[in-house]
Amino acid sequence: MSAYFIENADFPSFISQLIQKLPVIAPVAKEHLFSFEELSSEEQLRLDYDVTILPPKKVFFPPQQIILRFNEGKFEGTVSPRKQVLFGVHPYDIKAIDQTDFLYTEKYEDINYTAYRNATTLVGSNIQKVAKRAFWGSISHDVVAKGQDAFLTKLNSEGYLFEVFSEKGKELLAWGKFKAASDIQIRTARNINEDIKAQCPENIPYDKEEMARTIRHSFKNTKLWDDLAQDCFSCGSCNTTCPTCYCFNIEDSWNIDQKSGQRTRYWDSCMTIDFAKISSGGGHSENFRETKGERMRHRIMRKMVYLNEKLGTQACVGCGRCSISCTADIADPVHIVERIMEYSHG
Amino acid sequence: MDNTVSNGCSQVNYDADNIFLPKQVKILKVRDTTPMERHFTLRYMDGSKMLFEPGQILEVSLFGYGEIPIGLASSPTRENSFDIVIRTVGRVSSAINRLHEGDSLYIRGPYGNGFKLDKLREHPILVVAGGIGLCPTRSLIQYILDRREEFSGFTLFYGTRDPSQQLFVDDLSHWRASQDVDLFETVDKADEAWQGHIGVITELFNQVSISSDTRVVICGPPIMFKFVIRELDKIGISHDNIFVDLERRMKCAVGKCGHCQINDKYVCTDGPVFSLSDIINLEEAL
Repeated sequence: MSAYFIENADFPSFISQLIQKLPVIAPVAKEHLFSFEELSSEEQLRLDYDVTILPPKKVFFPPQQIILRFNEGKFEGTVSPRKQVLFGVHPYDIKAIDQTDFLYTEKYEDINYTAYRNATTLVGSNIQKVAKRAFWGSISHDVVAKGQDAFLTKLNSEGYLFEVFSEKGKELLAWGKFKAASDIQIRTARNINEDIKAQCPENIPYDKEEMARTIRHSFKNTKLWDDLAQDCFSCGSCNTTCPTCYCFNIEDSWNIDQKSGQRTRYWDSCMTIDFAKISSGGGHSENFRETKGERMRHRIMRKMVYLNEKLGTQACVGCGRCSISCTADIADPVHIVERIMEYSHG
Repeated sequence: MDNTVSNGCSQVNYDADNIFLPKQVKILKVRDTTPMERHFTLRYMDGSKMLFEPGQILEVSLFGYGEIPIGLASSPTRENSFDIVIRTVGRVSSAINRLHEGDSLYIRGPYGNGFKLDKLREHPILVVAGGIGLCPTRSLIQYILDRREEFSGFTLFYGTRDPSQQLFVDDLSHWRASQDVDLFETVDKADEAWQGHIGVITELFNQVSISSDTRVVICGPPIMFKFVIRELDKIGISHDNIFVDLERRMKCAVGKCGHCQINDKYVCTDGPVFSLSDIINLEEAL
């Protein structure tokens, strides 16, 4: 890692230079919320965002992605990445991207994801404003975000510390007036990123292993899960907004000529009714997670238990998006985990 | 900076490494097996042989309709072709079942773990197949019959709803006459021509003695597993020696899409064949 400093006055021209060279996808205001969008001017950039509506996974794993096109029996893939910069990603989302990187390369590498990921320069930024349901300060707080090519920290009124972690990150230095950072600036940035963790409004205070064990042991407590899911609409918003959800469905569709068409993958949600349903013909079907409680249990197990061994941590990064997006306000992992821990400890 | 990704001299061709691109196969033969199922014999367009293990699955697709997971229904010991059976259920299977000899299908695979042949060799084997569960197990049955000397006693239980649902009728008549396999059949509901046993598949355990060192393979509708396992527990067969072939909604077959997940296991990549001891404690498995 090498650290650089850029003054506030020079920062807008860095961004505008960058936009001229490469597509830059970064947080922008969307009415009173925020969204990762391609910048058309540096003024759109809102590094003071709290959390975006959708996580940045959409840049490598879009809500709809054509994975092949066919025409009368002939077919071809569609992978055609462009060099781009994903800018201003908060550490919790970097952790989520790092997890997804692993899961999309494990056993079988999915080039429909990795080609786009590899073509992207990932620039993180410090959290200037804390989202109202965030709990990243406590969950996976011991896991250091990795996978970023560079990381930007706003140092109060002076300017920004710009830490470079890879060649891709280093390339960006050409577009701004950077100078070597001082030890004090590096230390200040570290403190800023550390101190913000205590400001999360929500908290998962339990030991990681104890929590995983207790949640796993609650599997057969049908009443608890049914209670937790009682008001669930099975809409899947908690999945859609989750930075670590990566499930999908694949469907074909025809073009209007009825000869050509495409095979598309879509984000899918384990909280929806037919996610685990199969048809066996003759009007028979089997749904392996038929009840709302079973589906809620699956989601929580997947975030807090199932993937822990592979990932070395929970597959929840504490962004709080599911809590914000849930119409019935039952998706918040903090409340769910609390209920399970309380129940299990009498 | 150049705004495209290249390998220095030419545009990267990603298709070769794209796990979602299928291979074209030709339909060599189609047979109507039951009112709901059709039996296809397939071969790669270039005539090459597919390497696979009994119990593995394919993603079979028809462009414009979609892709479905299907177990291989023939043994790799057989010819330079392979079989699948498609039950008419939804959009994809209905479209595939309208195809004819000479038409093309598109496949990805083979995927997953098959029947553990090394654990089956040199021990008595019982295969319990219910309904369409005879398709993936036919791959194993053919394998055992082709390499009979590698295996010990071989018993096959096959149950269907009624005689019209019986698959592979030519095979069944061959197996009935064969000294190499003891076939026991049952139907839930008989027709006038049916001479055999009537009743659920577990009643077949009364017709033959199964020893406790038997290796057992089970494949059938979800409801069947519990009842068959109950019988096997009575005999005292170790759960390490019982292998179950599970069905799930495997959309990708490469452990990504999440649909087939049972606890921390993916049926497509960790299965579809599991030893019972590995999944008996996974609450959503059986």
